Amino acid sequence: MRWLAGVCFGLSLYGQLTPEQKQLNTASFEKVWTTIRDKHWEKNPGGLDWQAVHEEFRPRIDRAETMDQARGVMRDMLGRLGQTHFSIFPAAVYQYAGLESGGEGSAGLDVRVIDAQAVVTRVDPGSPAERAGVQPGWRVVSAGGKDLAPVIEKLSADPAIHELQLERAVMALLSGPVGGVLHAIFDRGGDRDLALALDLAPPRGQSARFGNLPPMHVWFESRRIGEVRYIAFNMFLDLVRVMASFGDAVSGCKPCDGLIVDLRGNPGGIGGMAMGMAGWLVDKADQRLGTMYLRDATLNFVINPRPEVFTGPVAILVDGSSASTSEIFAGGLQDLRRARVFGARTAAAALPSIIERLPNGDGFQYAAADYVSESGRRLEGAGVTPDVEVKLTRQALLAGHDPVLDAALEWIRSQKKWK
Amino acid sequence: MEMTRRSALIGLLGCLAARAADDALPKAETILDRYVEVTGGRTAYQKRKSEVASGTLEFAAQGLRGTLTRYSAEPDKTYSAMELDGVGRIESGTGGGVAWEKSALLGPRLKSGEEKSQAFRLDAFNAPILWRKLYTKAETAGVEPIGGEACYKVVLTPAEGTHATTMYFQKTSGLLVKTTLVAVNQMGEIPVESSVSDYKGFEGVLIPTKLTERAGGQEFTITLQSIRSNVEIPADRFEPPAEIQALLNKAK
Repeated sequence: MRWLAGVCFGLSLYGQLTPEQKQLNTASFEKVWTTIRDKHWEKNPGGLDWQAVHEEFRPRIDRAETMDQARGVMRDMLGRLGQTHFSIFPAAVYQYAGLESGGEGSAGLDVRVIDAQAVVTRVDPGSPAERAGVQPGWRVVSAGGKDLAPVIEKLSADPAIHELQLERAVMALLSGPVGGVLHAIFDRGGDRDLALALDLAPPRGQSARFGNLPPMHVWFESRRIGEVRYIAFNMFLDLVRVMASFGDAVSGCKPCDGLIVDLRGNPGGIGGMAMGMAGWLVDKADQRLGTMYLRDATLNFVINPRPEVFTGPVAILVDGSSASTSEIFAGGLQDLRRARVFGARTAAAALPSIIERLPNGDGFQYAAADYVSESGRRLEGAGVTPDVEVKLTRQALLAGHDPVLDAALEWIRSQKKWK
Repeated sequence: MEMTRRSALIGLLGCLAARAADDALPKAETILDRYVEVTGGRTAYQKRKSEVASGTLEFAAQGLRGTLTRYSAEPDKTYSAMELDGVGRIESGTGGGVAWEKSALLGPRLKSGEEKSQAFRLDAFNAPILWRKLYTKAETAGVEPIGGEACYKVVLTPAEGTHATTMYFQKTSGLLVKTTLVAVNQMGEIPVESSVSDYKGFEGVLIPTKLTERAGGQEFTITLQSIRSNVEIPADRFEPPAEIQALLNKAK
């Protein structure tokens, strides 16, 4: 399949542009420049004379003879900002990886890219995947007839594609319309590969709406692991239900040794929910998770201690797909030394960034706000580095272990011993 | 050369015209008192002892909609409840020296400092006839067009707090059409622009029934469908909820 990647590159490298394509590139350039002018959180984006930047780069886009050259001009212009989350995705990436395909239907699998392989990390209870016997640690060899290895290889090679986007692209290939079937081949780690036809069911959780966003399925899980309360949820959405469930779970932890909040794979959502949840864990007034800078306002992410606060040990689990509100929550509580963070570095995508399609078909990602965590560190582009870095391995998953969760449990138990 | 001389003349005339306009500006107290008169007069305001208002709330760009009910009574008692789709119930209130808020998102909290004084000022019952008490200084700062109508710009210095409030009154009608202020809350200081319109008469007083507020790059509109004055409001309506009471007890 490697030849296909070569073809995709070849098309963009050597294709001469038609007058129409040149016109679309010019329109794309203007859209990128205007968006930064109007929506960047600084009036002078990056401290630059943005009009002068336009005058410098505009002749270059007019001279661009290939898509790569045009894309390079726009990337160079965005590079002048010296800030992350401003990038251009080639249209070929969308077409090749199927970033826009998929659907709501899910077989009930959660997958991470571990050592360049798509590995099952969780199987939803009661899902078609569980009924078919799929296990954590299995490698997804192909989905819908498409080999995943070359997809992962191609996307990993693009510096504009981060781990979060890579895993979303892989998950898109495992989804489809509800009622459809996912034909997938799994490497079970020793046994012969297994081909399965998995029904695509509505995703786990309840459908929740928030304004103009499309309905999304949100699930919340709370259970005891020995004397420790474990909480996980897939998104900071469905505000009323999730906030109440979080409050109930924390209140239910009063006689327990510690609390684990698992944000692995959680892409974020409503930023304010991080403040609200922190209020159940921080008993000191006037504490902040961090500060968000918009063009005409500065917003402090202040924590309101709830009337009853959990004061025992708190562990937060994160990985490369923990983004946005997850990073605000984990980074802020880490800064306040209120929680110990376990797992892998987060997505480094704390800002409310937006991806739009440009007239020439490319994708344009930009951020409309800046966010600085309470210790003064900029999470955007850097992410939250765990206090205890734990690598998730396929071998551990195949053996039925979750090394990140195990490390958090061990730490909480050590706190009890120490006390 | 001729062009330069003409430009200079136009500029000079412009300056003179502006100066003449400044000289003609009415005093702020005249504009503020006129607002009371054109909306019904002091006596009509003084007859109002309580009010219950209800309507809808919409963040159009975000597609969020909700309802709003607001109870208020002399001198400074308020209780508001908003139900916003996807966000849940947001309650707030003032009275007895306490300003508070409670939401599904942030839980219960007590307002303090400038946020508290701003809440009492903005929620004051019959605020138009109380401006001399709520503000220590009022100055007419000029004339600006809003929606094609010339408006007097009045800058008010609050009796408590540091941020001035600017109000814009139509020259012709005397009605308030816009207010700008810096809203203070625990998240920070956010410039807010509020436009009001659709004045309707309720018990002899004209009250704007539409308010559009812009802040932090977002905009929402409140449309009041019902305003009832001097209705019986249960005494416990203005009592803070149990969670707020718990915070008050904790703070003692």
